[in-house]
Amino acid sequence: MLNKFEIQGTRDTPEIIFNPGNNQFEIKGNSLPEDTNKFYIPILEWLDNYVLNPLEETKVICKLEYFNSSTAKVLYEIFFGFQKIHSAGKKVQIDWYYDAGDTFIEDKGTEYKSILDLPFNLIEK
Amino acid sequence: MNTKTTFWFFDRIHEDNLCLLYNGRFSDEITNKLIELSEYNINNIDALSKMKKKASFLMAECFQNIIRHGESTDKQEEKVVNEGFFLTKNWQGIYYITSGNLIDNKKIENLERQLQKVNSLDKEELKVLYREVLENQEISDKGGAGLGLIEMARKSGQKLEYKFEDFNSQYSLFYNQILLKAENEECSDDCPFKLSEAIGYHQKMVEEKILVIHKGDFSQDAIFPVLKIIEENLRKQHHDSASKKKIFHIMVELLQNISHHCIKEENKREGIFLIGKTDDYFVINTGNHIENSEVEKFRKQLEYLNNLNGKELKELYLSKLRERNSHNDGVGIGLVDIARRLISPINYSFEKIDETKTFVSLNVIA
Repeated sequence: MLNKFEIQGTRDTPEIIFNPGNNQFEIKGNSLPEDTNKFYIPILEWLDNYVLNPLEETKVICKLEYFNSSTAKVLYEIFFGFQKIHSAGKKVQIDWYYDAGDTFIEDKGTEYKSILDLPFNLIEK
Repeated sequence: MNTKTTFWFFDRIHEDNLCLLYNGRFSDEITNKLIELSEYNINNIDALSKMKKKASFLMAECFQNIIRHGESTDKQEEKVVNEGFFLTKNWQGIYYITSGNLIDNKKIENLERQLQKVNSLDKEELKVLYREVLENQEISDKGGAGLGLIEMARKSGQKLEYKFEDFNSQYSLFYNQILLKAENEECSDDCPFKLSEAIGYHQKMVEEKILVIHKGDFSQDAIFPVLKIIEENLRKQHHDSASKKKIFHIMVELLQNISHHCIKEENKREGIFLIGKTDDYFVINTGNHIENSEVEKFRKQLEYLNNLNGKELKELYLSKLRERNSHNDGVGIGLVDIARRLISPINYSFEKIDETKTFVSLNVIA
């Protein structure tokens, strides 16, 4: 099994825990890195490996407060990775949390749901 | 506030290493961020980094003056609203700290007497006066006791420059300016940046309803405190989290856009950023240099975006999300996402500076 990927949240980068060991996949906090690609390359590389040998069921929890548009692109890449697992016949779901009244995060979730082909749940916190 | 406003300010402050102007409410959170930002900027200027502590102290003193002595004109609110003006700038090796706040006309005479007294004393005499006040004088009802002014004069090593401007029958605006020089010499009488110029900036900010102007380095460490200052200001006045996030998002995208696309000069990514508000809208202006060769491409991108309706912008945004090739010449996803949230087209202007660079100014309303 793949080792867990874990990164602490900062002022402008999110906390990310991808741990197949206890089936915990979470992205939380803010994401507006100065260099978005540089920040996300390790996680995308980790995900490429995970896609080759995923768990039977993967549940991804997104609790983002704010993210910029370059992060929005990378999030799509990440979700696209999970979608590959779904296409290959294993269970994957994405739970997208938003605060009541926070239409910014809610709308972003709705947009992802509309362009992805995997179970994508919008959940009011 | 329009693209001309950006030029107006940039023209006057483009030589500054840093210039931060704030016109609005003061709270501890906002003053802490203003100090944090100034510390970051001072740290980045070799000749000044030793003065960081001194500058922070002087700024904190100015803010205390605004908060403690500032008067509220808003009788509806029970809490005192601390409206004020703050400027910090670094130009030709001198660091300027200017503040302005409302003061009751009845208090002017006393304050002016204190200022004249402080300015009439030399270093040793100030030290003596400081001890005297510390030991003897009763603390005034607002806790000032003149110590702040004495300390400002002692720490800066310069005379305190000040001016009272009429506001209305009850209040005046009290401005003061202190300067810090790398070598602790007294400034000659014809100090290059006059207090009257700072007052002119404040008047322009009031007229055009501008909250914050920042000219300087647009790297993330420099822009983050600016974002927090504005976020803090929004927090106080907007209870609707969605519109706050919208404004925050537009600022982040515009600022990161400058950071990524402007010409790096002496390893700095420089630009100017203005945020203003009317009762209903926020107005955000940016200005920065780009290569002349980039101008036509950028103009076309802006024209293209301005011609799309809401539905088309959404479709474009979603297609940008899915675009795998990040090295393309098309319009960036950030600008598309901004355009979706505006109430009117993006206003822009290009001013050719020389054979290599052009000043581009954007003005958006949300």
